[in-house]
Amino acid sequence: MPNRGWQPGFLRIVGPDGGACGPSASSRPGAAITDQGEEPKVTGITAIAIHLPRLRLQRASMAAAMDWLCARSDTRGARTLAFWDEDPVSMGVAAARACLDQAPEARTAVRALTFATTTPVFAEPQQASFLCAALRLPEAIRTQDVGGTMRCGLLALHAALEGSDPALLIASDMPSNTPGGLAELRYSDGGAGVLVGAGPNLLAYRGGASLSAPFIERYRGAGHALTTDWEERWVREEGFLDLVPRAISEALDRAQLSPEDIQSFVLPCVIPGAAKAVAQAAGLSQAKLAQPLDLECGDTGAAHALVMLARAMEDMRPGERLVVAQFGQGATALVLEATAAIAGFAPAASAMIDTGIAETNYLKLPVFRGLLPWERGLRGRLPVSEALTTAYRNSQALLGFVGSRSPETGQVQFPPSRLAVAEAGFFAEPQEPWPLADLGGTVATATADRLAFSRSPPNCYGLIDIPGGARLMMDFTDPDAARLGPGDAVRFVFRIKDMDERTGYRRYFWKAVAASALPAAA
Amino acid sequence: MAKGIKDRVAILAMGCSRFGERWDVGQEELMAEAYLEALGHAGIRPDQIEAAWYSSHYDDIGAGKAGTPMAQALRLPAIGVTRVENFCAGGTEAFRGAVYAVASGAVDIALAVGVEKLKDTGFAGLPPASRGTLAPMYLPTHTNPGNFSQLARAYGARHNISSGDLKRAMGHTSMKSHANAVTNKNAHLRKAITIEQAVNAPMVADPLGLFDCCPVSDGAACAIVTTPEIARSLGKTPVLVKAIQLVASNGWEVQQSGWNGSYVHTARIAARRAYAEAGIADPRTALSFAELHDCFSITELVTLEDIGLADEGTAWKRMLDGAFDVDGVMPCQVDGGLKCFGHPVGASGLRMLYECWLQLTGQAGERQLASPSLALTHNLGGAPAQNVCSITIVGAA
Repeated sequence: MPNRGWQPGFLRIVGPDGGACGPSASSRPGAAITDQGEEPKVTGITAIAIHLPRLRLQRASMAAAMDWLCARSDTRGARTLAFWDEDPVSMGVAAARACLDQAPEARTAVRALTFATTTPVFAEPQQASFLCAALRLPEAIRTQDVGGTMRCGLLALHAALEGSDPALLIASDMPSNTPGGLAELRYSDGGAGVLVGAGPNLLAYRGGASLSAPFIERYRGAGHALTTDWEERWVREEGFLDLVPRAISEALDRAQLSPEDIQSFVLPCVIPGAAKAVAQAAGLSQAKLAQPLDLECGDTGAAHALVMLARAMEDMRPGERLVVAQFGQGATALVLEATAAIAGFAPAASAMIDTGIAETNYLKLPVFRGLLPWERGLRGRLPVSEALTTAYRNSQALLGFVGSRSPETGQVQFPPSRLAVAEAGFFAEPQEPWPLADLGGTVATATADRLAFSRSPPNCYGLIDIPGGARLMMDFTDPDAARLGPGDAVRFVFRIKDMDERTGYRRYFWKAVAASALPAAA
Repeated sequence: MAKGIKDRVAILAMGCSRFGERWDVGQEELMAEAYLEALGHAGIRPDQIEAAWYSSHYDDIGAGKAGTPMAQALRLPAIGVTRVENFCAGGTEAFRGAVYAVASGAVDIALAVGVEKLKDTGFAGLPPASRGTLAPMYLPTHTNPGNFSQLARAYGARHNISSGDLKRAMGHTSMKSHANAVTNKNAHLRKAITIEQAVNAPMVADPLGLFDCCPVSDGAACAIVTTPEIARSLGKTPVLVKAIQLVASNGWEVQQSGWNGSYVHTARIAARRAYAEAGIADPRTALSFAELHDCFSITELVTLEDIGLADEGTAWKRMLDGAFDVDGVMPCQVDGGLKCFGHPVGASGLRMLYECWLQLTGQAGERQLASPSLALTHNLGGAPAQNVCSITIVGAA
């Protein structure tokens, strides 16, 4: 990131964890490399967290809206629905933040970041670089985006576990399905973050296998919005029941274990009964079949093996072994063993699964997805023209939500400026970078504006007071944002700021959300 | 120590177009309408004007940038024309430029014109203004009802006013301005309303309903200023400039936690300085009436306190008691204000001065106040948290 002369090192900070202090020498990028003499060795999963959108679209409501046209049989439960300003990038940031909260030391140790999704926001640029900046990770990091199959998340985890670098894997997805179809009912939106490293681990890696097959059960050409699915009986018989057991068998061989050594089995599969049939075919009938979470949230695509894994880990005891597998143009199976640390693993995934708002308006799905043109008025037709030079010059402030602080007075300010504001003038002394994302704040003033354009009116915003005496006019987000008022505690979330539908450009920034609307921090 | 502007410059004459949805004319005709009226009152030739200031906010939908749109619309005689823009306070800014030019002695007669042609934008409410490249990357997509509704909520909370009481006080504010505008042939909205209509109008940004918001209007207003001596030599009764103060927010309100959101910081400073410049000890007894920037009903209530015409936390009660009605102790928005005369952004500051000039020279017709001697205009540009606020005081010689 750019480094301006007036503030040496200003834009290269990693930042404090939990926001209690300013950046220290040990948290600067590059410190991880120079301070660690020996090559680290990856031995397992050190942290895992998920993020699910608050909206839970009721399948009965989806049926009520569309079943006159496309009758569907099982309409129990709900699926998550990303709010208009959530996408795979924002959900990925949310999941990764929760993951890093579990292992703060990973902020400086991590050397690789992989972002996995079947629904990338951009064909170009790379989204992992956004995530890296939003998470304030060191710039000396190997970033990559992967996709193409819902298995990409687990494939990336497999690659990370076979590698030698401490790595952050973020899988986040919004599977794109045709209105009225079964897939629209079954798939959903969500993300997960996993840290792999040398420990202390929650799960030790015992072995894994990935098989590749040109088995195409759903496809979507580049530039096409919706997928086409093939008959699910074929997917079950020739896909799941053939490929997944073979991947499991290979993984167990590599782990030098047999099926009866496995106590839990995680396999996302939207076809009813198929996961159980795969378990039988793989000799894992005795293993506990992980909850598919189909009634609670639906299948989150590239994230779902990890979402199910995070939930299943809450029930594991030290020494128990688990196979997590996923299907998609082949299959991947990983064998993991719970360490003693699993006993302290907080049930944060359950809290996230349980923190939802029942949504009964099916039309929010096609509107939020851009599938349904709607009359947005003049204010909704204004172009979003991004000055990329400005965006890069301010990227640490905008993506990482880093303000500045006066070492002398302790006054915090956003955005950073050469002259820090005072009531009747300015402070001219040099300032230090000061990350704000984890500090949270308090609403000073609030409005619910019905004149301003919003994809979910009213447009809610107001002044937020941030510890250190800082204040910023911020967007509020969340379906219940209009309830926020002066004095309410807020936390900050990374969201879409604006979208330019002509070019596909998305601008991201941080927004305020009621602290009470989020599950308690792990 | 600067001696200030008091009594050094006179308003020779003013003009104002009819405000409203002027589908019939463009900005050039609006400027001409105001200018020809002022020229007629002034009794001078166009070639006696030596410098001009031009206020227009929306350059992309108005006549364009720079001074040429006005120079060409008014066929000015090869003089300097300076375009100014200071949000909704641009009209006062243009006036300030012309007044300072005369006070400096550089010119004898100067012109200030403000204009806006909002009804060519297609927007309900003010169109969004350009904010540069960085601000849109982090600031909310806001509107002025949204910005000023925050002021209303904070004011209510600060003074423990129930939402019902505040809503009725805001309703009375709008009802009073509607009543005042009924006889004003240049006003945009000339229909009387009841408090109940205002209170029950559709919500725009809670607690601001439709009738708490001024309309967006087309219009132009114009001032010709000179020295008091020249004005008298031309046989005119001059209206003297007593004070002009303008304060721009430096970012303190929006970047530090010191401001509680229930008042307008810049207005308090500008008013204090203006009273000092004009030599006014007690504005409540010195001023005859006031034209406030009532872009929203709440703005008028809060401003009454910010500029010392009501004690803090009491303006809402005094408004309900009729203190600011046309027959009250301090008539406000005698011409209907922004609320009903209308709000063509770049013209509004000059429109307020137009009413002051009419009243102080006894030309206000049916709405003429009895023997006014000193008047104040408050012209606010921007949002409560970040704005340009100007206070001008003018008086009879």
